Amino acid sequence: MSNQKPIDPVVVEIIRNALKSSADDMNAILIRSAYTPLIYECGDCVVALLDDQHQVLGQSAGLPIFLGNLETCTKATEERFGREVWQPGDVWILNDSYLGGTHLNDVTIFGPVFVDGELVGFTASRAHWIDVGSKDPGGSMDSTSIFQEGLRLGPQKLVEGGREVHQVIDTISTNVRFPYPTMGDMRGMIACITMGQQRLEEIVRRWGLETLRAARDEIFAQTERLEREVIRGIPDGIYTAEGFLDNDGVDLDTPIPVKLKITVSGEDIEFDVTESADQTVGPVNCGTSQTVSACRVGYKLLVSPDVPGNGGSFRPMTVQVREGSVFGAQAPAACQWYFSHLGLLIDLVAKALAPALPDKVAGASHGDSMIVLVAGRDPRTERDYVSLEATLGGWGAWEGSDGESALINNVNGSLKDIPTEVFETRFPFRITEYGFRPNSGGAGKWRGGNGVIREYEALEDCTVSLWFERSITPAWGLFGGAGATPPEVIVNPGRPDERRLLKCNGLRLRNGDVFRCHTGGGGGFGDPGERDPEAVRIDVLDGQVSAAAAREVYSVG
Amino acid sequence: MGPYRVSMDIGGTFTDVVAYDESGGVFHAGKSSTTPEDLTEGVLNALGSIVRSPSDISFMVHGTTQGLNALLERRGVKVLLLATAGASDTYHIARGPRTRLYDLHFRKPEPLLPLRDIVPVGGRFSAEGVELEPLEEAAVRAAAKRFANEGFGAIAVGYLFSYKNPAHELRTREILVEELGADITISLSHEAAKEWREYERTSSAVIEAYTGPVVRRYLSRLEQSLDEQGLTVPLHVMQSSGGILTAESAQKRPLQTLLSGPVGGTMGGAALAKALGTPNLICVDMGGTSFDVSLVVDGEPVVSPEASLEGLPMLMSVVDIHTIGAGGGSIAWIEAEGLRVGPQSAGADPGPACYGRGGEQPTVTDANLALGRVDADWFAGGHLSLDLEPAKTALAALGHKLGLDVIQTAEGICDVANAKMAQAIRTITVSRGIEPREFTLVAFGGAGPMHAVFLAEELGISEVVVPRFPGAFSAWGMLQTEIRKDFSEPYFFVDEDLDRADMAAQFTAMDRTAMESLAGEGVPEHSRRTAHAVDIRYVEQEYTLTVPVLEVDEPLREDFLEVISKRFAEQHESRYGHANLGAPVEFVTLRTIALGDLGQAETERIAATAGEDFPREIRTVVFDRTERDTLLVRRDDLLPGHTFDGPAIVLEGTATTVVPPGHQVTADDIGSLVIRSKEQ
Repeated sequence: MSNQKPIDPVVVEIIRNALKSSADDMNAILIRSAYTPLIYECGDCVVALLDDQHQVLGQSAGLPIFLGNLETCTKATEERFGREVWQPGDVWILNDSYLGGTHLNDVTIFGPVFVDGELVGFTASRAHWIDVGSKDPGGSMDSTSIFQEGLRLGPQKLVEGGREVHQVIDTISTNVRFPYPTMGDMRGMIACITMGQQRLEEIVRRWGLETLRAARDEIFAQTERLEREVIRGIPDGIYTAEGFLDNDGVDLDTPIPVKLKITVSGEDIEFDVTESADQTVGPVNCGTSQTVSACRVGYKLLVSPDVPGNGGSFRPMTVQVREGSVFGAQAPAACQWYFSHLGLLIDLVAKALAPALPDKVAGASHGDSMIVLVAGRDPRTERDYVSLEATLGGWGAWEGSDGESALINNVNGSLKDIPTEVFETRFPFRITEYGFRPNSGGAGKWRGGNGVIREYEALEDCTVSLWFERSITPAWGLFGGAGATPPEVIVNPGRPDERRLLKCNGLRLRNGDVFRCHTGGGGGFGDPGERDPEAVRIDVLDGQVSAAAAREVYSVG
Repeated sequence: MGPYRVSMDIGGTFTDVVAYDESGGVFHAGKSSTTPEDLTEGVLNALGSIVRSPSDISFMVHGTTQGLNALLERRGVKVLLLATAGASDTYHIARGPRTRLYDLHFRKPEPLLPLRDIVPVGGRFSAEGVELEPLEEAAVRAAAKRFANEGFGAIAVGYLFSYKNPAHELRTREILVEELGADITISLSHEAAKEWREYERTSSAVIEAYTGPVVRRYLSRLEQSLDEQGLTVPLHVMQSSGGILTAESAQKRPLQTLLSGPVGGTMGGAALAKALGTPNLICVDMGGTSFDVSLVVDGEPVVSPEASLEGLPMLMSVVDIHTIGAGGGSIAWIEAEGLRVGPQSAGADPGPACYGRGGEQPTVTDANLALGRVDADWFAGGHLSLDLEPAKTALAALGHKLGLDVIQTAEGICDVANAKMAQAIRTITVSRGIEPREFTLVAFGGAGPMHAVFLAEELGISEVVVPRFPGAFSAWGMLQTEIRKDFSEPYFFVDEDLDRADMAAQFTAMDRTAMESLAGEGVPEHSRRTAHAVDIRYVEQEYTLTVPVLEVDEPLREDFLEVISKRFAEQHESRYGHANLGAPVEFVTLRTIALGDLGQAETERIAATAGEDFPREIRTVVFDRTERDTLLVRRDDLLPGHTFDGPAIVLEGTATTVVPPGHQVTADDIGSLVIRSKEQ
């Protein structure tokens, strides 16, 4: 690269923006043409343009957990079948958890881009399909094998020479519960990668392959420079952090350790998770490539939050994963609930690096999706219903600011809560209370955000399934800030049959039963003794901190 | 001469007016400095050369940014919010999305009032609107005392299910008026936005309460002052929906005026589409710090049923305007040894280096100046003169770090800015399923015509139109509108449960209310009309599409479900690229729009034709890194039929049009410049 003649910086910047906006256009077309709300409303998808060496040229912001593991799909295909497998007009599909990294619901569709007979790159999209034929509709909270989780596809051709391969498409559509919208999503993903192919071809034709490659090298070099500059600022050394998942959802008594060791040496940084738990019976496992993604998310949050990802990103970092662990799951480990331990891993990156990057980190967040799934029959409409929602919680504080209260967790991106008016209209429930959970954020000079309280009263018999996490490792504080209160769910509070639990599958509730969900807060930052007393007084007025806690923790009032 | 139809667009720096002489059928544009102490002075100055006295005005419309600025600058009044006990944190929970995915330091949009200013009030309805618990009147009376003692300026009330049963909100107002008198501002959520979703509805009411007193004070002062000067007709105000209202009605529903400023441009686009016979337009409005894009599709502006400002949602009809952080003030800078342009802007102060106010970083305006694409003495119609030397110094300093000379740097900045703007336009159109190549680009605002042809080239668009008075196009657009009032009624049904007779009855009642409301706006009976629609979605979707219902009795038709589902599917197909005909749909909201035609300014056809040639000069301008002899033309000298080739620069009072080589300009008979690529 150093031998080439320097490329015009104006051309580099125009190409850099063109690649980024091509990815944005692909994302727009996917969201526009998807059939299921998970994609077009929650944005549970990601797209990328890759060069012929599987390096990312441009990527949509997408769901963070999908950061930078689309290239593993094209790479794995090439490794399996050889480079000559790529032919113009072909489109491929893959969802194998051990290749793609996530659960089987996350399907990747990709294809090569040819210009005048030459392979110039790939375009790829990944989206969450609502169902891939698992033992329970949509996915299970208690699967113990990948074979319970649905149809598992290694690299397959969906389209060959521009023509759909009907046998493959037929196999897929007969193995999913909702073939109509699923096939719609699949065609939306094909439209998306086709649009990306056109965009990449336009760029190649406008600038020429040589200029594009020179610009690519410079774009990657710019990204790498920015990231290395940050890494250089981190003192050499070993940084560690660990925490526990409560359990794997099947064996409720055994906590799952997650251990992270980060080694910084000059401009390089290594993430090592090999000391973490062996793969579990329950579904909290994932493939290696997803672990790499999670480490990248943790890294990006601290190192390069504002830089669009490309092939120059993450060059300073390596990841060590142990095969057979929860982070390097081997067949037939169950992977459905793959994001709980990854969410913890992402949070641990900030904890480990806090001593080196005190102005970039924050106390931990409540940390998981806190899923409430209710199902039953609504006598008003005489129809069956299912509702699945994630519950908001508190985020950690940082130097200069309190943490945010009642925010969705990292893994769910920009998902919103379900309004009470919508929930009560659609489902036979009353939301009897929905508000902040006072004192749940960790105390500190800067206070952790509070979780929420959401109380449901069943107006008809129904079932409820719950996945609440992080009671063994609730959000921790940093630099003297206190940890947060863990989550808690109480069924029929104050009644003789009152019980407390965090996870359950299909618990029966009767008309008039109540369950009250408390989510955790975020961690505090800095010594609570240094908190501005005026801020404490305002917290009390705002109902975020009780008068008693103000006296006991902050000596105010 | 006269009478005149007049529009005024009062900005922070300048006041633009456009007047249409009804007897002569001629438009005039005027401009003067805004006079903040008494705004009518600026308006009268701008009108001075055109209209002798306000008594000659037959119709007057105004787009105001008072409410918007109060919100953006957080200068609204202190608001007390009354909310349902048990759900009173809703306004601060704000539904909890994290919209910046990689920001560990993410904060939600700053609410307009703190938690301690939310009063929980007991009282609850079911989803069906049945009272489960009576209103806690004592809490309302206590809130009234707090209001009086703690210096609040307005009250917002947002109770659960008030869209279904407003009794508690209405009773709350009665009590507050008893306690505090009728003069205080009270915004009830079901009146601000009669739709479900408590956070969004409450937010609408809070925004209205927060900005309402500011807008009211402003409108009543302006109207009074114009009346004193002899104005005999009611003042009309532009709404975010693209329609207008009397100032009197706008004071009752000030929320509707919040985005009234920029909407005029899109309405002008819609009128231009008709006059040109070109139904599909991409409208770009580029000023110093912002770049607004809106679409006219099939002759109609694209209108959404909700919007957000600073992240705070509002449920109301809004012309869709996408703001992109780009403009003449966008700063060029270096990151990791690479060139970047924007999104940071030098703003108006210090502004670009060439403003000579101490700006040291080169901006897009500096680049245009160094290339000869703007005239140093004609910028902003001569209201601002530019200084070339500081621009060159700033460009040279940046270029030095990149190994580029001043000209390469300047044109590079323009090229990058144009590419970025074009890409942003493309993403907006792609997400609506529109191919930009099939559209005409309309450019206005001071800087729009400077970049328009370059944007069109990037997008493969073959025709660019620069309308007459591009700097005052928003004001011109306001003269092309009609009275509009929006009514909505939540109506939640899954398709097969629909009671068609009931829906027809609802529409009949809404139609009556809508027609009556037009009488209040002074619309003569024969000019009143209504349009009906229903918001529909597939079961499980959150967002809806607004689907027209042809008449109030249409739901009575036996095949109504089939017909409306098909209409919805067609719209879904065109908006999202697919439809799911036969899948269950949900009805969510009934809508009725009342429209009142108060007459419009006819598009003026210029009778004179190009007989003789027009005066021209030659100057040097850089295109493709080369100094080119370029035609310099005054727009006032052009008559219909005049044609010339680029490279050319067209100068006029409010804007500069830049025509690169390879394009041909034609002046048409409505005073527009039509610029076409010569390759096609």
